Amino acid sequence: MEGDERGFRVALVAAELVNPPAGGLDALAVLEAEGWGVVQLPAAWYPDDVAAPLLEHVAEHVDEFTRHGYDVVLLGDRAGLAEALRALDHELPPALPAPQTRDELEAFLQSRRTVAPRSAAS
Amino acid sequence: MARPMPDAPPVTIADRGTGASMLETVARVAFVAHCLLNQNAKVDGGARCPGVYSPLVEVLRERGWELEQMPCPELAFTGLNRFWAVREQLDTLAYRRHCARIAAAVSGAIAARVERGDEVVLVGLEGSPSMGVRVTSSDPGRGGRPEWPDGAPELTPGRGILVEELLAELERRGVPAPRAGGVTHVLPVHDPTAERAQLVALLEG
Repeated sequence: MEGDERGFRVALVAAELVNPPAGGLDALAVLEAEGWGVVQLPAAWYPDDVAAPLLEHVAEHVDEFTRHGYDVVLLGDRAGLAEALRALDHELPPALPAPQTRDELEAFLQSRRTVAPRSAAS
Repeated sequence: MARPMPDAPPVTIADRGTGASMLETVARVAFVAHCLLNQNAKVDGGARCPGVYSPLVEVLRERGWELEQMPCPELAFTGLNRFWAVREQLDTLAYRRHCARIAAAVSGAIAARVERGDEVVLVGLEGSPSMGVRVTSSDPGRGGRPEWPDGAPELTPGRGILVEELLAELERRGVPAPRAGGVTHVLPVHDPTAERAQLVALLEG
């Protein structure tokens, strides 16, 4: 992956942490600074018929990243996520269910080991 | 399933506030290409940063726009070990069906937003065979053992396959097409200042 700057680390992030209310924890800024990519979960207010198809795609993304050894974590939660993952034989990834502060989030992200990505050829 | 690319500029979203009650907050929401928040989804060699493409986030945040990330059509279909591709290599019935499935999911979210009066824009990735808004990549001669260097020759005016399917699905649902533009950081002519100005113009309508 010459010239490729990816971090091999992916966080599934509740929409409310991607778009925080005024004064709320800006998870996106922390994730950017720590070198993590984001897979945004559907907004909590979306009805099931809107959220479920989006969660299917989230689960497919998780499948591909985990299959290749990328580190995947969950920040916050989203109803229906566990079911969507289970449909593809995946469990919920390691999670920080309700991060409150920047320090707490940074500590969680920094506690993750650095993964050695596995190519399809290995 | 594809729709011809019109010569006219992108359509402006419907009037704001038509579906919102007094208790609901009308938001401005940018539906963005997956890789703009997650460079891990990029084809090998294409990631420009570890994860979040901050220039886009900065412009959106400064102007009070929320972010809504779309799924990556290529990640789930051809995977992380995919080759770089042009439109002709991806434009199969199976890939169209895959993109239509994503378009249906995203259209549901856009429709829910529009119904409550939110303002919506679409931010794609110029030069992408799937997510290009005004610039995609095309070369009918490509196939077989890869021997083509990445560069400008394949870039051509047009939309990517998912963007085509998304706009077609919105039209089928009677949802007005959002204003749309794209990040240019994969184009050889990329200019960060110009990209920012184009994003601002898109958001300000």
